[in-house]
Amino acid sequence: MTTTDERAVPLTAPAPGAPAAEPTPPLTDDRPVTLSGRDAYRDELTRLAASDDTIVCLEADLGGKGHPFQAAHPERFFNLGIAEGAMVDMAAGLAAGGHKPFVSTFAPFAALRAAESLKLTLGYLAAGVTVVAPYAGVSGAWFGTTHHCLEDLAILRSVPGVTIAAPYGDAEMRAVVREAVRSGRPHYIRTGRNASYASLPLPDGELPLVNWEFRGGPDDVCLVSVGEEGTRLALAARRAAPGTAHAHLVYLDHENLSRAATELARHHCRFVVVEEHRGQGGVAEALALLLPEARVTSVSADRSWPAHGGDHEEVMAALGLDLPAVLAAVEKAGAHVEQAGARAHVRAG
Amino acid sequence: MTTTVLEQPRTGGDPAAVLAERAVLARRLVVDMAASPRGCHLGGSLSVLDILIAALHRASAGDGTEVVLSKGHAAAGLYAALHVSGILPENPAPLYGRAGHPYTGHPGPKVPGVRFPTGSLGHGVPYAAGWALSQRLSGGHGLGIAVAGDGELQEGLVWETCQVAAAQELGTFVLVVDRNGGQNDGLVADISPLPRLAERFAAFGFDVAEVDGHDLAALTALFAEDRTTARRPLAVIADTVKGKGVRAVEGRPGCHYVTIDEARAAQWKRGIR
Repeated sequence: MTTTDERAVPLTAPAPGAPAAEPTPPLTDDRPVTLSGRDAYRDELTRLAASDDTIVCLEADLGGKGHPFQAAHPERFFNLGIAEGAMVDMAAGLAAGGHKPFVSTFAPFAALRAAESLKLTLGYLAAGVTVVAPYAGVSGAWFGTTHHCLEDLAILRSVPGVTIAAPYGDAEMRAVVREAVRSGRPHYIRTGRNASYASLPLPDGELPLVNWEFRGGPDDVCLVSVGEEGTRLALAARRAAPGTAHAHLVYLDHENLSRAATELARHHCRFVVVEEHRGQGGVAEALALLLPEARVTSVSADRSWPAHGGDHEEVMAALGLDLPAVLAAVEKAGAHVEQAGARAHVRAG
Repeated sequence: MTTTVLEQPRTGGDPAAVLAERAVLARRLVVDMAASPRGCHLGGSLSVLDILIAALHRASAGDGTEVVLSKGHAAAGLYAALHVSGILPENPAPLYGRAGHPYTGHPGPKVPGVRFPTGSLGHGVPYAAGWALSQRLSGGHGLGIAVAGDGELQEGLVWETCQVAAAQELGTFVLVVDRNGGQNDGLVADISPLPRLAERFAAFGFDVAEVDGHDLAALTALFAEDRTTARRPLAVIADTVKGKGVRAVEGRPGCHYVTIDEARAAQWKRGIR
């Protein structure tokens, strides 16, 4: 799968007796470490909790051993066991008592099993609870259908008052977590499994409403990327169709998307939305409603069930969510695609 | 609709007498709500009233105790108990179920004194457990008291939370079961019985108390306990009577939801002592 695991870079000095390298490797690597979304969440929350003792971290037995928050703040870390509904509801109680609970479990268990708790806690109560949901989409890949979640945006977007984010890469995840702590608003943060990406550059270090990777001209087709894999595919498509504009979205709830749509419409009128979600209830559908004058095409998971194994990309492809599908949509929308380059990229992917 | 003009219980009197007086006033308010155009969950509201009044008495000490009515369909009982306890200033009875007012058939946080929305059964139990955990983290002494129905114990979320509360040694979490024996479609014993309930809670790692759910003195004593150092949550199995206080419906499963006219309400209220 297309991941960048910069953690694989050696961080230690060469063994004694090893041939000296030129230049001498540093004892520490100054390059930024790019963590997966869930690891970046854990790391950032642990850091923030050092100066905010109201932050508490709840897990439902899927936080893994060696959770950094547990190591740094054991008195505020709770593995509640396999009890997702109780976890979200208890977070409501914690928030009512003045705490800032961050709860995490896989997306299918957060958004579907605990859906009613999310509706009541994040929506109706507007409790300052943040739900961090890894394994969104089909990032669970060969783990199978029970561990996939292609429906969470549809559910959460229909619950008023919830801030929904699908950050791409380490820096975006950290920015979203900081904003969740700062705002005290209910958040649902969707991420993948272990893929790690370098976020797109953030102007002034802040998350813009629309992050224009390439704005292009008013007649250009505009890719709209959502989430980790949607953004990966959009970036790959841009290499095959360089004239295509690319707008990256992090916040996907109705309020943020409505404002983003206004900005999108100021610059373009043909959009290809790439998202690892069902078409129904996804971002493309929402943009089509928000922008009735625009042409919005969706590249998303089809209506089939991903019942076979494979890695993440393979399972996505089985759902019709791959680079050729994106390029076909871009071309159909009117953009020029350099086919040879596209084919080469698909082979290399 | 006939409304009850609330006479606040006298202060400085015998605490047990004060609470008993509140219970009488609250029962009359619940009957008023049954006489609203909407009717109300009468039987369960009357069975849970004494529990609520005693629990709210503990909460009124201001030590951070939170009372969560998890069996939210007994909203009429909760509104009445909040009012007679001085937490809800306005009389909810004439406003119950009416447009523009928050006194819905299941309670929500727009009602003064209500923090959590309940009615979808089971959720109030983890809300209270979360509150208890928050108190512990803050060094507070308050309890998180969830008041559930016995039928509500059929919800898996209740037991999921019991498992968590025991594992987290939440000694300040109290789960009160209003064991009135009834549920929407009939008797708990007929639909999904709960044998050896005290043993079940004990097996989960709870301290267990069984009490007459209409004995205000016993309930008050239970809720007065300082459980700051307790490491086992407390289950209070409170035996109650559905429709308690209204002779015409006492103990009758059919009084789960009742709509009556004003004349009948007046008659029933005269009988509440």
